[in-house]
Amino acid sequence: MRRVKDTAIAAVTAVALGSGAWLLLGGARTEAPPQPSAAQAATGQSTRADRGAAAPALPPSPPDRVRIPAIGVDAPLTGLGLTETGSLDVPPAERKNLAGWYEAGTTPGERGTAIVAGHVDNAKGPAVFYRLGALRKGSRIEVDRRDGGVAVFTVDAVEVYAADAFPDEKVYGAADRPELRVITCGGPYSRSTGYQGNVVVFAHLTDSR
Amino acid sequence: MRRTARLLTGTALAAAAVGLTTAATAVPVYAGETAAPGGLKVYPSSVVPGDRAMVTAACGGGGSAAGDASAVGAGMFPLAPGTGDGEATGHFEVPPSAQPGTYEIVATCGDDERRVTGDLVVTLTSAAEQVYPKGSVKTGVGGALGPDPVQTAAGVAALAVAAAGGTWLLHRRARGDGI
Repeated sequence: MRRVKDTAIAAVTAVALGSGAWLLLGGARTEAPPQPSAAQAATGQSTRADRGAAAPALPPSPPDRVRIPAIGVDAPLTGLGLTETGSLDVPPAERKNLAGWYEAGTTPGERGTAIVAGHVDNAKGPAVFYRLGALRKGSRIEVDRRDGGVAVFTVDAVEVYAADAFPDEKVYGAADRPELRVITCGGPYSRSTGYQGNVVVFAHLTDSR
Repeated sequence: MRRTARLLTGTALAAAAVGLTTAATAVPVYAGETAAPGGLKVYPSSVVPGDRAMVTAACGGGGSAAGDASAVGAGMFPLAPGTGDGEATGHFEVPPSAQPGTYEIVATCGDDERRVTGDLVVTLTSAAEQVYPKGSVKTGVGGALGPDPVQTAAGVAALAVAAAGGTWLLHRRARGDGI
């Protein structure tokens, strides 16, 4: 009887030791999201010419989904508004594979600057745009539109901006051709204030079907 | 006689009850109701005279609808079942002569005659009225980086159990109880 009890205690101890170590080491084994290199930054005036000819603007239509094959993104889009401070609102964080678009702005494919945003992570781990910073110039971004069409954008640049020096006009400002911005959190991370900035992907319409 | 009367009353009451329920269900839900605002959306949020606008109407059931943009002088336009959930979509052109302002666009859903409405905003320049977002976007909390606090707590608890078990076993061994 005593032997059985001893064996049970030994077994429980071994299991507790193993799972404790696994939980602690596993919890710490996480990675920072990828960040764009300087080579992916916009290069002055040449960005417009060297990444595919601009396609003609599409009529307005709200989008349904966004796909970025190079980084395995395929996510539905929800409409976003502004927060009280005038910054772009974000999709609900608990839905990790959900991105959003700025509904009061330009629709993707239409002439002007359309804006898409999504979380890099939530409390549980990586989210829809976790790998956005790994995107490269020339990559393709597809947006399914509610009129049944697909707007195809080509990446011109991938930049990272500090939150306290965010270039509003460059990111959100008007454009004379159909353009797209895809935004997520990025830059250095601090425990007290979170991510220090944003990764912003600049793209323009190069095809539609 | 009394029994018959009671029976008759009962029957009459039952019939009345049935009548009432059928009357209640027979009344179309949307009859007499004014058009539901917000069931129709116009894209983009502000349109320049001469440009096309897209309309989505939350009709449900994947049906088509008949659009009416006569408020802005664009007349009737059709809405076809779209790719969204039960939404009908269609286009119309804002006449080049349209004056800046807000106009009510109406769609009548094909299956149940329900009317949905929404606002069209006409501006002289597309960028003028658009409100642009400002500043950075809060799209991360660091959950991909640091250890999950719950997981850490569970790990510490499991190690505490292991320590307790180990101590107990060592004590027994020291007392010569043997394993």
